[in-house]
Amino acid sequence: MIEAIILWLGLLVFVSPKDPAPGLLHSKNEARNLECERLSVEEASRAHPGDVAPPGPRGDYYARSALVCTERLVRPGLRDARDEAILSTLDARSSELAAAADALRPELQGATWLVETYYPDPQVAAKIGFATKNALVFQGLRVSDRTPLLGAGDVQVITRMTPSDAYAAACRRYADNGSLGPDDVLLGVVSLDPRETALHAGLCQQGTWTWLR
Amino acid sequence: MNALRRVFAMALAVAFASGPALAADPLEAAQLAELDRVRTQVAGQVQLTAYDLLDELVLGWIQEPVFTTPTPVVLAGLTVPVGLGTGLQALLENHLGGLLTQNPGCNVQLSHCPSCTAVVVHSGPEGTVVSRGIDSPALLQELGSGGRKYALFVDVEAEGTWLVLRARMTELNPDLPIVWSRTLSHASSVPAMLRQPDDLKTVAEARQDYLAALESRGPLAVPVRIGVRAFAAPDGNTLFETDTFDTYDTTDTDTDTGLDTGGIGIAPPPFYWVQSGIELGMSDARAWISSFVLGYSVIPQAYQGLMGEVRFARLLTGNYRSLTRPDLYAFGGAAVMTVWGPATGSFTNNALNTDDILNQLEGDDPRAVFGTFQAGLDLRVGNRMGMSAFFEFLPSFRDSDNFGAYLSVFGLGIQSFGTEVTFWL
Repeated sequence: MIEAIILWLGLLVFVSPKDPAPGLLHSKNEARNLECERLSVEEASRAHPGDVAPPGPRGDYYARSALVCTERLVRPGLRDARDEAILSTLDARSSELAAAADALRPELQGATWLVETYYPDPQVAAKIGFATKNALVFQGLRVSDRTPLLGAGDVQVITRMTPSDAYAAACRRYADNGSLGPDDVLLGVVSLDPRETALHAGLCQQGTWTWLR
Repeated sequence: MNALRRVFAMALAVAFASGPALAADPLEAAQLAELDRVRTQVAGQVQLTAYDLLDELVLGWIQEPVFTTPTPVVLAGLTVPVGLGTGLQALLENHLGGLLTQNPGCNVQLSHCPSCTAVVVHSGPEGTVVSRGIDSPALLQELGSGGRKYALFVDVEAEGTWLVLRARMTELNPDLPIVWSRTLSHASSVPAMLRQPDDLKTVAEARQDYLAALESRGPLAVPVRIGVRAFAAPDGNTLFETDTFDTYDTTDTDTDTGLDTGGIGIAPPPFYWVQSGIELGMSDARAWISSFVLGYSVIPQAYQGLMGEVRFARLLTGNYRSLTRPDLYAFGGAAVMTVWGPATGSFTNNALNTDDILNQLEGDDPRAVFGTFQAGLDLRVGNRMGMSAFFEFLPSFRDSDNFGAYLSVFGLGIQSFGTEVTFWL
C-alpha cells in the first residue's frame, strides 16, 4: 500500500500546478525573480490555452483561479538598482510623461518636439530619450531627432549653476543661438537626485523653461 | 654592491607590496567569469525573443509598408538591454540584415553609411562640433543631396518580464523629422515563434500552422516498439509469504530456510518483444489515444512468443500534444500472450521441479497462454520517439510459486515490470 501511495504522489508532481512560493523546489532568489498575477479562469484559459482548462459549460464544481507567474528577463542584481528601477518601468514612465506633456500644453500640438535626457548613465539616458520620443509620436505629435546645441562657453557657465537655474539658462541659450526655433519645443527628462528613481520633466519653449512635474 | 643590494631590497618590497593585489586578481577574474556566465545565460534567453520582435517589426513593414517604393535606410543604431554586451547586438544586427535582404516586399533597403554612425568633426564659423555623423547638420545636408534617405534606430530593452523593442525611422535632413515609430513587446513567458526569415507569419497564421502540424499526422499512426518485460522472482515476495508450494511440491524438505531450490519457484526469464500495430488519436490534439499492437518475441533455443495488446493513454502535460516539449502520457491496458519453448516452464502455478525440467529435455516444450493488465507512463519526444515504463499484473499467476511481486497496489501483486522504446513510422 505504501508503494501505491508513493506511486500516486509521484504522479501528482506531473499533474498538480507548480507553486511559485519558496520552499523545497524553489529558492528565495528564484521566487523573488518572479512577477505573479492572479487571473480568473476565463482570462487565464484565453491567455494560456492548454495550460488552464476553460470553465465547463455549466460552470465549475469548485472555485478556481490561476496564478500566472513570469520570470524577469534580467536577474535582480545584474544591473544598477536605480537603472533597473527606471528601465523595468520605462514604457509606463515614458507614456506617462508624453501624455502629461500633451495634456498640460495642448496649445503646443502643432509644434515640433525635441527630447533631451539628463541622466548620469549615457546608455540609460539614450533609452529614456528613445522611449519618450516614441511615446510622443504615439500621442500624434510631430517629433524630431534633432539635438539642440550649446556652445562650449555656455556649457562652462551652465554646469556651475544650481540645477534650478541651469535648466532655465540652458533654455534661454537654446533660443538665443537658434538651436530651438519659435515652433520648436524641447521636452527635458531630468533625474534631479541620484537617490531618487523618479524622472522629472520640463518644457523649453521660446526661451522659457517650465517644469511639468 | 650596495646599489645591487638596494635594487634587490626594492624588488622584495615591491613583491610583498603587490602580494594582496596578486591575491585579488584571481577573485576578480572569477567575478568577471561569473558575470560573463550570467550574461551568456540571460542573452541566450533574450536572443530568440529579440529575434521574434525583429520578425514582427519586418512583418509589420510588409503588411503596412512605411514607403511605397524601395527606399534606402541606414541602420543608424541598434542597442540591446543594458548589461548584455555587444555580442547580442551583433547577432541582432545580422538577423535584421538577413530579414531585410530576404523580404524585399517591406520596401526597406538596408544602406551602408559608415559616415552616419562614425564620430565626425565639423569645423565652421560657429565653432567645432564633434558628433556622430547622423547628428551633424552639415553631413546630413550632403547625404540628403543624393535623394531622400532615412535612418533606422532600434532599441531592445528588458523591462521586468517583458522584452520591449522600440524602432523609429528618421528622415536624414537637417530637421531630422521622425517619420515612423513603433513599440513592440514580448512577454518572457511566451516562447519565441522561431519564424523562417523568408516566410514571416503573423501570430494567428503561426497558430494555425501549429494546429495543422498537431493534426497533420491524422488520427492513425503506426508505432514500432521494442521492449523488455522482467518478472519478479519469488524470493522476498511479500504477497506470497504463506508457503503454498507445499501443497504442490512433495519434494520440499526445507521450506523454512528457503535454500532448497527444488521447492522454491523460478521466475521466468526476461522477455524481449518487438511490437507494431496502429495508434488511434481519439481527440484532435491527441490528448486521448488508444493503440492496438501485435508482438513477437524469440530467443533461439529458449523461447518464442506472440502477443496482442490494447492500451488507452491520457496526456498529463496539458490538453494538447506539444511540438516543442516532451509529452507525458499515463496509460492503462491489457494484453494476451502465448509463449512456448524450453525457458517458459515457469509460466505455471506450480514450482518448477526436476521432473518438469527433465520432461522439457525430452522435447515436450511447455506452452502457456495468459492475460495481463498493465499501467505505466509514456514519455514522448516530439511524437517521433518515446520511452515508457509500466507495471503488469498477471491474474493467471496470482498464486504461482514462480512469480514474486515488485510491489502491491490495492492488494494486487505487480508481477512484471517492463520498459519500451517506441518509434512512429
